[in-house]
Amino acid sequence: MGVRGRRTRLPRSVPSWFRSGHRELGLCLLIAAVLVGIGMVDPRFHSTGTWNDLLVRSAPTMIVACGVTLVVLTGEIDVSVGSQMAFLAAILGTMVSRTEWNLSPWIGLPATLAAGAAIGMLNGILVTIGRVPSIVATLGVMTALRGATTWMMGGSNIEGLPDALTRAAKQGLFRAGPPLGVVVAAGTAFVCYLLLHHMPLGRHLYAVGGGREAARLAGLSEIRLKWFAFAVTGFLVALATIVDVPRLPKIEAGIGVDFELLVITCVVVGGVSISGGRGRLGGVLLAVLLMTLIRPVLTFLEIGESGEKWAKAVQGVMILAAVLSDRAASRGVRREP
Amino acid sequence: MRRAERRRSPFAWWHEGALLALLVALLGIASVCVPSFLRLENQLLLSRHLWEMAILAIGMTMIVITGGIDLSVGSMMGLCAVTLGMTYAATSSIAAGCLACLAVGIACGALNGLLITRVRVHPLIVTLATMAAFRGVAEGISQGRAYSRFGEPFAVLARGGPGGVPWPGVFFLVMAGIGALILGRTAVGRFLYAIGNNERAARFAGIAVDRVKFGLYTFSGLLAAMATIVYSARFDTAKADAGKGMELDVITAVVVGGTSIFGGRGNLGGTVLGLLLIHETRLFIGRYWKIDELRSIVVGILLIASVLIYRMLARTEDRA
Repeated sequence: MGVRGRRTRLPRSVPSWFRSGHRELGLCLLIAAVLVGIGMVDPRFHSTGTWNDLLVRSAPTMIVACGVTLVVLTGEIDVSVGSQMAFLAAILGTMVSRTEWNLSPWIGLPATLAAGAAIGMLNGILVTIGRVPSIVATLGVMTALRGATTWMMGGSNIEGLPDALTRAAKQGLFRAGPPLGVVVAAGTAFVCYLLLHHMPLGRHLYAVGGGREAARLAGLSEIRLKWFAFAVTGFLVALATIVDVPRLPKIEAGIGVDFELLVITCVVVGGVSISGGRGRLGGVLLAVLLMTLIRPVLTFLEIGESGEKWAKAVQGVMILAAVLSDRAASRGVRREP
Repeated sequence: MRRAERRRSPFAWWHEGALLALLVALLGIASVCVPSFLRLENQLLLSRHLWEMAILAIGMTMIVITGGIDLSVGSMMGLCAVTLGMTYAATSSIAAGCLACLAVGIACGALNGLLITRVRVHPLIVTLATMAAFRGVAEGISQGRAYSRFGEPFAVLARGGPGGVPWPGVFFLVMAGIGALILGRTAVGRFLYAIGNNERAARFAGIAVDRVKFGLYTFSGLLAAMATIVYSARFDTAKADAGKGMELDVITAVVVGGTSIFGGRGNLGGTVLGLLLIHETRLFIGRYWKIDELRSIVVGILLIASVLIYRMLARTEDRA
């Protein structure tokens, strides 16, 4: 498999999870170092509350990052996920809120999921059949959806979501156990892992990203595969919206601003090549955890008045570090003229 | 070679022609619906919203022509604005503030250029990283403070100008003229197109690709600093959130203007038309329907439609 073919320098006796996991191992060590470090500075950080909060916060990013990983593996990009989330939140809120249409969640939730998949399909159609470069197409969709959301909401916020949704998002399905988001994120990650690394469909996605001409000659439909990746992303954004948005006190038009950048950052830091065809889901999931750690850790360290203000700078440095470590690892392996 | 021939074929002007027709049609409809819309003083007054974007678009066009992208221009504006504000607060000299602002802009652009040429990572990734980093540093060192009251001579920079055209407009026209000359008439301009068409071939042809790219991203940083000065003068405020989201507006204008996001095709004339079209569309919608949200919907659709239509036309031409 071309995906793992470049890493042949280690001897065969090394277990495969290690061989294919330079990035994953590095991220694990980094996360461990951060956790140990913050634990040494202030042991209060490691409480059930903080951990719970951390997992809940990482859930939507993780769900959406799974979808965007599929898209990036096929060599495309989706920058519209943040706006999609706002739009879907507005749809969900309008349908099920007590102060709006007051429909049953059994109608509202499937409708939101369908709307998400439809937006994803629209992206897919534009990119595959319309042959619009994906960054341009999804940029246009991003702008248009943000406008549509603000228009729909008409300057006011949506409140009064059904208690069942809020409770599930905050306390879990059965009033105990992990919150819904964490369960859904784990499930999504597992399904996507199976799909990418243990199913023919996953290999086809890698193949299209790795070399479209070769994939075409092998009989794969580039159009169908890319369309699938975009549709899955839209669907997963809807899923993330459903599990995460009811946690918030109210639905605003500004939901998900900069979310697309966070997700793409996670995908890149997780070791997925932006030109497609290389990278593994495990790295992306670890990168999501690492990125979610930044804000709580900075807040906890209490650097000055608000250490949180440095979060973006740390995020940028993380991307650069990931890219540089990639280069250092592959030095001499592949040198462009 | 085929590209070169195509550039000379009548098709090369379709895009600009279509944009111009669209712009004329829009202005026609607008002047019927809102009679005062086309009045020169109104247009000049409202053009204030355009200039920062326009200045950034010059560099962005050139970068996109080489097949790159610069997502960090908005964040560079944030960092430049904070520098300007802090220097002014420390020295109470606006000239020192502007100089520091320009220096930081050049340094940021050079950092982008260095990472792109040395590390050989796609500009999208590098500038995504620096986009977060510059904004983060700006927020971190300023801690959300806003700097304002730069004094009258500085504010005049945004308002006054010869014959009603504001100074930023004059400045933009000069820079755009120089940019168009570089792109159309000099070797460096041809290098940019060559890099965009096939970077490896350009390298083998002996073009100092790295040096050209480094200079280009540094230039983009310089333009970001200049846009910051205009922006700060307009609002009389410098804050870490200056230019937020600006990069996407600029890229939209460049792409609507017919520059291919894959590089190798495009020119500044198209970008200017794209800028004007977006600007006038926004103004018209704002004036006529008074629904601000409609603007981004229309601009998003315009962006997709322009590329979609271009692709369709290109496909029919390929067949011919």
